[in-house]
Amino acid sequence: MRILWLQVATPLNHAPSASSLRTVDRGSGPPCHRLRKQSRSLPTHPRLTVGSYLPGCCWPSVPALLPCSLFVPRPTTGRRYSARLGRRTPCCCRLADGIPNLIPYEETTMHTTRMAALCGLTLMLATGPTRADSPADPTAQLRSEVRELRAQLTQQRTLLEERVRQLEARLEQLAEGTTPSPVATATGVPAVREQVRSGGPTAAGPAWTGAGVGAAVQSLNPDVSVIVDTFYHNDNSKEGIQHVFGELAGFGHSHAGHEHEHTHLEDGFNLRHLELHLSAEVDPYFKAWAIGAICEEGAEIEEAVIQTTCLPYGLQIQGGKFFSNFSRINAQHSHEWDFVDMPLANQLLFGDHGLNDKGVQLSWLTPAPFQVLFGLEAFQGENELAFQHHGEEPFDQAPGPRVWLGWVKVAPNLPEAHGLEFGLAGGRGVHQEEHDALDNAAWSDSATVTFGADGEADHWFDGDTTFFGADVVYKYDAPREHGAGDLTVQSGYLWRRKDLELVDHILPGAPVGEDRVDTQDGYYAQAVYGFRPRWRAGLRWEQVGLTNSSELPDGTSQSFDDSTRLSAMLDFSPSEFSRLRLQVARGEYATDDGDEEVWQVSVQWMISLGSHGAHKF
Amino acid sequence: MDTRHNHSAGRLAMFLASGICAFATVAAAKPLRIVTTTSDLASIAQAVAGDAGTVTSIATGRQDPHFLQAKPSYIMRARRAQLWIRAGMELEIGWGTPILDGARNPKIREGARGHLDASGDIVRLGVPTQRVTRAMGDVHPSGNPHYWLDPLNGRIVAQTMCGRLCELAPAQGDVFRANLASFIAELDCRMFGRELVAQVDGKHLWTLLLGGTLDADLTARGLSGEVGGWYGTLRPHRGKQIVTYHRSWNYFTDRFGLEIAAELEPKPGIPPSASHLVAVMKTVKRENVKVLLVEPFYSRRSADLVARKTGAKVVVCANSVGGQEGTEDYLSMLDQVVKHLAEGL
Repeated sequence: MRILWLQVATPLNHAPSASSLRTVDRGSGPPCHRLRKQSRSLPTHPRLTVGSYLPGCCWPSVPALLPCSLFVPRPTTGRRYSARLGRRTPCCCRLADGIPNLIPYEETTMHTTRMAALCGLTLMLATGPTRADSPADPTAQLRSEVRELRAQLTQQRTLLEERVRQLEARLEQLAEGTTPSPVATATGVPAVREQVRSGGPTAAGPAWTGAGVGAAVQSLNPDVSVIVDTFYHNDNSKEGIQHVFGELAGFGHSHAGHEHEHTHLEDGFNLRHLELHLSAEVDPYFKAWAIGAICEEGAEIEEAVIQTTCLPYGLQIQGGKFFSNFSRINAQHSHEWDFVDMPLANQLLFGDHGLNDKGVQLSWLTPAPFQVLFGLEAFQGENELAFQHHGEEPFDQAPGPRVWLGWVKVAPNLPEAHGLEFGLAGGRGVHQEEHDALDNAAWSDSATVTFGADGEADHWFDGDTTFFGADVVYKYDAPREHGAGDLTVQSGYLWRRKDLELVDHILPGAPVGEDRVDTQDGYYAQAVYGFRPRWRAGLRWEQVGLTNSSELPDGTSQSFDDSTRLSAMLDFSPSEFSRLRLQVARGEYATDDGDEEVWQVSVQWMISLGSHGAHKF
Repeated sequence: MDTRHNHSAGRLAMFLASGICAFATVAAAKPLRIVTTTSDLASIAQAVAGDAGTVTSIATGRQDPHFLQAKPSYIMRARRAQLWIRAGMELEIGWGTPILDGARNPKIREGARGHLDASGDIVRLGVPTQRVTRAMGDVHPSGNPHYWLDPLNGRIVAQTMCGRLCELAPAQGDVFRANLASFIAELDCRMFGRELVAQVDGKHLWTLLLGGTLDADLTARGLSGEVGGWYGTLRPHRGKQIVTYHRSWNYFTDRFGLEIAAELEPKPGIPPSASHLVAVMKTVKRENVKVLLVEPFYSRRSADLVARKTGAKVVVCANSVGGQEGTEDYLSMLDQVVKHLAEGL
């Protein structure tokens, strides 16, 4: 507790002398009165003691003394006031006691007292260690200085607090996960700058703007990309390689006439097609993509798929029109292949587009620690080579889905840079063929009706196609840039059997109702190596027709020779989005007209525009 | 006899009950399965999750993170993940989505709580202010994605991860927060030096550094001599120039006051060409560049050629955890970078 007291040190400060007191007794009036009289003559001054006890402080400090003025007694009429004691003291009683420490004073001396107190205060302040001041108006000056100091102090404190608060807020934002706005950081933080000198859009070094980021990130539009796939082709066969393929022994007998769908492969410049990809997440449950192949003859839908993203237990369903996943080659688009064309086996057994049909796929990724992926697909059944359907007389009309197949893909977990996947698949579907004088067979010798390849079907087969496939791929991802050192080894085998029944024949003696079984197969093996950054070289060996037999309805069976092809390719990818490829192939084909050797050369140039999604393994 | 039998039955029941309780506790406290795309994120996630999480990374730090195959083994890891943390800013655009699609794990698809983009709150560099096209090379429209090389971003990423982990496993919130605090304390110590951090709070030091007044403030306080750590080691080299292979070191140089004089790639993603290397050599001689900083998975041919012709030194430094000997975690990876640079400069 602080007690304030003022020690008035004046030379006139002493207790009234005993003589002055004694003189009181002379008077006859009441002692107080006498005393008062006496006090007029005597220079009595009050002893006022107002000071301050401060811990650890001998002399009162200036600020502590400031309120002392409050304790200087103010003139009050008719009241005796002892500053020290703070209570009224009846002077009569005191005088009667003769107590020498009584402080007698009169109202008229109050003013003087106050002045004396002030003088004393000033004197003491002058002797105090806190300041040396001119005695002229010291308190006012003191007060004003103190006011000034107080104001400055408050101002400085406010400024510092504000600054600290701002900085702390900024660091809070940075350190605790909210993004500071660039405007707010412009004042103190050095502008975020790009220090690269080698050009590019940020070389000018402007401050970071959030708007650009937002615009790039926020768009509900689908991802759009375009693939342009063009190539120059030349081969040395007389009627073109496509004709050779159509005439391959054992393989080429399944079309009605010579008019059938082909993707044009002309000598000279070709545009395979322009692929337009659109893809997006539909909602929390599905994603979808559509791929349109636009070529000179028109546009067709390559894929239009809705795929689930929400099913539990590793299940996934997709529906629409899509490439079947039964083999790696079939599931890939033409621009993803490592060679300009697809392997012969796939081309001869399923056609130039592969197995691409409308249907539904259910797949299940099992809980095994390594990948075991089962798939079940149901397709409508419209494939020109394997699953044709006519539906009209003399065929049965089989409603869709007419093709059912299943596959499994197993991939053991290999260390870091290695990847390996095995695939097995099998399926069956309705197949109907109409032929135009291609299989004269033995019974034509006894024909009484002559017929020829006149473009009109004259015998019909109805039945099903069963197929089986297996493939394996191994990839090594070297830790060098731009694909240098990467190795991919891939191989696949396809086997197909057509179990057909001759349902009708123009010739009356034909063995209608008898079966015809065609069994063909083929395989390929390829390897691609990145020998330099951005450069790859590849080699592919193919053989078709190891099993190549036909059991005809009349009981005879034929067996045909195999055909082989060796292809070599070299490609250069200036970036991930463009590729140039040179491919040379030599094939030995067993056609109906004998063996034929054909050389093919292709130069392919592909690009992709837009946000093309990443490719699967 | 009867009482003994009762006792043993009671004991058996208690044993079973305690066993079940223990099992339940253990089962309830199974570690969170976290899969990250890069090894740096994995290191920070492991530091924050501690024993309450098992963390694996798709990229190992030994490969260029831009180019990876979406292998079946990666897909299987994502299948079982409870939290998928990606670096974002289109670093994984070549392989992230096929892994997520193939994984058939709805919990970690983009937008779910189990999918975290670690770049959400970091300080970005290199955000293009003009329209980007692929003619500029492999330019990322959201900014330069190699942000973990700035220790401040490492601090921010740890905070982000802690927040998401606490959301996914609130029961272990205290563990995560305690781990986060110790990771941040260690990061601050390595950044500024243990002596300085003991005297001035790490957060305050970062505030001063961001405000640009750290040196002045420390000098005023007389603590200038106490500065250590990465900041202290690289302080004498402020303003010096280096040459990098790819545009991957900008966050580091920006934080520590270095400058990048040139890149060996003429444009991001395009390998060095002879004419560009000639221009780089001129720059190196003119700016007196002493260090050519190359990651281990890039070819050293171009860097060695420039070094031979100009006298600069090739410093092979991993920019990702696991890319080199001695980079087992995020902080030691940065230690390594600072050490190599300080030796070379």
